[in-house]
Amino acid sequence: MTSQEYRPLLLKNIHRPDSTSLSAYRESGGYKALERAVKEMTPEQVLEEVKASGLRGRGGAGFPTGMKWGFLPKGPGEKYLVLNADESEPGTFKDRLLMERDPHLVLEGFLIGCYAVGCSRGYIYIRGEFVEGWRILLKAVEEARAANLAGKNILGSGFDCEIVIYRGAGAYICGEETALLESLEGKRGMPRLKPPFPAQVGLYGKPTSVNNVETIANVPLIVEMGSTWYAGIGRPKNTGPKLYCVSGHVRKPGVYEFPLGIPLKELIFEHAGGLLRETRPLKAVIPGGSSVPILPAEKCDVLMDFDSLAAAGTMLGSAGVIVLDDSVCMVDALLNLARFYAHESCGQCTPCREGCGWYVQILERLEKGEGRTSDLDLLLDLSDRIQGNTICPLGDAVAMPVRSYVTVFRDEFQYHVDHKKCLAEPAPAPI
Amino acid sequence: MADSTPEQVTLTIDSQTVTVPAGTNLIEAARTVGIEIPHFCYHPRLTIAGNCRMCLVDIEKMPKNQIACSTRAAAGMIVRTRSDKAMKARQGVMEFLLINHPLDCPICDQAGECVLQEFSYHYGTGGSRFEGQKVHHDKNVDLGPHIVFDGERCIKCTRCIRFCEEVTHTHELGLFSRGDHTIIGTFPGRQLDNAYSGCTADICPVGALTVKEFRFKQRVWFLRNTPSICAGCARGCNVNLGINEDRIWRITPRDNDAVNQSWICDEGRLSYQTYQQGERLGRALGSAAAGGATREILAGSGYEQAAATLGEIARKHGGATVAGVTSGHASVEEQAALKELIERAGGSRIALPIHERGDDDALLIRKDKTVNAVGARLVGGANCTAEELLTAIKTGKVRALVVLREDFLGELGAQAMAARGALDFLMTLDWRVTPTVKASDVALPLCAYGEMDGSVINFQGRIQLLRPGLTAYEESDPAWKPLLEIASRLGGAAVPKNFREAFRWAASRIPELSHLDTPALGKYGVSLESPAPGRA
Repeated sequence: MTSQEYRPLLLKNIHRPDSTSLSAYRESGGYKALERAVKEMTPEQVLEEVKASGLRGRGGAGFPTGMKWGFLPKGPGEKYLVLNADESEPGTFKDRLLMERDPHLVLEGFLIGCYAVGCSRGYIYIRGEFVEGWRILLKAVEEARAANLAGKNILGSGFDCEIVIYRGAGAYICGEETALLESLEGKRGMPRLKPPFPAQVGLYGKPTSVNNVETIANVPLIVEMGSTWYAGIGRPKNTGPKLYCVSGHVRKPGVYEFPLGIPLKELIFEHAGGLLRETRPLKAVIPGGSSVPILPAEKCDVLMDFDSLAAAGTMLGSAGVIVLDDSVCMVDALLNLARFYAHESCGQCTPCREGCGWYVQILERLEKGEGRTSDLDLLLDLSDRIQGNTICPLGDAVAMPVRSYVTVFRDEFQYHVDHKKCLAEPAPAPI
Repeated sequence: MADSTPEQVTLTIDSQTVTVPAGTNLIEAARTVGIEIPHFCYHPRLTIAGNCRMCLVDIEKMPKNQIACSTRAAAGMIVRTRSDKAMKARQGVMEFLLINHPLDCPICDQAGECVLQEFSYHYGTGGSRFEGQKVHHDKNVDLGPHIVFDGERCIKCTRCIRFCEEVTHTHELGLFSRGDHTIIGTFPGRQLDNAYSGCTADICPVGALTVKEFRFKQRVWFLRNTPSICAGCARGCNVNLGINEDRIWRITPRDNDAVNQSWICDEGRLSYQTYQQGERLGRALGSAAAGGATREILAGSGYEQAAATLGEIARKHGGATVAGVTSGHASVEEQAALKELIERAGGSRIALPIHERGDDDALLIRKDKTVNAVGARLVGGANCTAEELLTAIKTGKVRALVVLREDFLGELGAQAMAARGALDFLMTLDWRVTPTVKASDVALPLCAYGEMDGSVINFQGRIQLLRPGLTAYEESDPAWKPLLEIASRLGGAAVPKNFREAFRWAASRIPELSHLDTPALGKYGVSLESPAPGRA
């Protein structure tokens, strides 16, 4: 199957005008997987199917979902499944689309997940700014309850599961799973020390698994079509469909669904309409959201999956593909990112709290033409001091791009020092 | 302590072999062999926050540095606190902490006992590559009745927040804002106003939280710390008296697991102010002249006169008419000496006034506001209440009274003052001039708090030592000296020459103490129930 022939599995409903309604979802076969799971399968069988499917978490780390669920203790004790709907990574807008256009797909996957791990009260933590998605999900949960798809004795199977939706207050850090749990508990959203990991001590001190929205949306597919079928999509160890968020200097930015492992250039040039302006060649691509190392144009012949991108020195991350043409000044781009992280650093641990603001000050002076060559080494050294030394990955998420941009585009940074202006020639008109 | 001995694990820290109970964190494990792992946010009595990142260490087989505070010692672990990887991270943390710090040590009260300052010398690079604009925060923020906050010095270690959450359970403090604008503050409408608020300044590793009553008063390097006991209540918290120029400038807690952990209440912390107020009694005074205004200063010690008068009254009216008022404010030796004197004069009636206020709290504060009521009971002889004694005076059963460290008449009020006339002889021993002193025929000057040695027993039955850091005021003494001098003139034994002898003399008369000597009491005292050292 070529990607040209690929029929969307996750996004198949989104173009229906009534796609958020329960009736539309059921018309297209929705909730059959839930019914099958709770009536014909044991939780262990569901878990085994998800393990066998090879599904890896779509939130950024790519950790095998079945294994993550398997870390939760078996048996009757209280435990929680939490849906991380706090999508905030710059360049990423896939979970939002799923929640706003196909909320029942998300709910069905979540309910199956709760069944598999033995959770009778699942929490959805949705980003504060997603007001629309929040309303849609609330309505969807109501509909699902009324149809006995959630709540007590689901579909007569004896499985009880309540779904609680909690809206965050708008902090990037609450996408980090332990900060999310803190926020969900009503506290300031700051990451916890690990160990203990959430699978041991999570929400309200109980074993907890936190899963990304897109990850969960894959679960009905696996249950309905079987893990063998599912594992046939994509590439070995990088299985299943994937939502790619393409933004930046392309003609058709948006969310694209293809199997894992689609060539990056195919995604940009065939599906996203190619570069925005004919006169402006590709300069670089950020392949997995703002936190990952950047790929210069000459290294863009890569496949978009976890292992291929890791081999290329970057990460699939959230698959937020940000395409930059040669009008972009890398100093300016990095300053923009650094400002974001400085604003979103929770302030808890020293290297990230202090380092992010320091990055901004250095980049600001470089941008203004007041920098020195030593500033470039200082930026790299600060990354060494931050990366690996913080409580949560936010420190890494800023240190990695800084190191990558300064290393890959060092001549451009040096140009700013030497000539007090950008090497890149800005685009003539605002886009 | 736990019933079973925890399993021991052996690991290597900086090439040294360390054996500690399983579960010990690496900071404490390293401490047992004298290796310092620097830290700001870690405090042994608070939960682990792991936010300062100063204690990052390099552990073999781990790709990243790990924070020592939250890493438990495990068998076979190989820890390097000074490898290049660990040192680079630590220098990074030091540099990061200082970029937005005002570096105002010359005007900062914490200077000299500032962990940030010390670690900067020990682990920093001595310079900074930061050239930008520092983030500014509010300074001189009034957090509560005793605490002032400087937002720019704060390193956000959250010790103060955790203290108010975990120790006092009062939850006044929180973190606000984000990133390098993160700031500590009180929740809206709240003040840092709990009974232990001063402890937040003690555990603040920098000069962000300071105690209003102490700030700007003294440079800490001028202070000598005298380890002593707080005399504010029956807990007997272990404290240090910060003394310079013969004056107490502050009282800070001294760790004792068995008594006060690392804390003291604000009242105890500020109790030195009480001892600096009011008129001191410095000389032995005789009766007031007519009109009561001018007091005769007794020639000599006053002992002869007191002994003669007590002896005469005993002869005339019977020894039983000689009574005493002992005190929970007095040391064991003083209480024993009073009993000795009353008994030498033939009397037996001794009252112990009660000083209770409020309630015991869940942490340290006791309603009994005397430091040594247990001592008075162990010494024995206290056999009536203040009210019963007053009745005995009014009915003529008591004609001579010796009052030790109590404002006996003043506190009982006008009716007691009126009963003064029924006494042939009133002798008071005190450190300050009270209404009772003023009404006395003989008043003898005593050392005040901080001026003398003395043993005291707290409500748990732990005997501890009050220690002197101040010069005794004028002619004042610990009360055992004048009391035993007078007793010896009534046929008592030789007077002890120093505190240790006085303690041994008293201890020999009290079965519970008879096995003890002052060196054994050490800095942490001894429990009379289970004679183990205080620091577990």
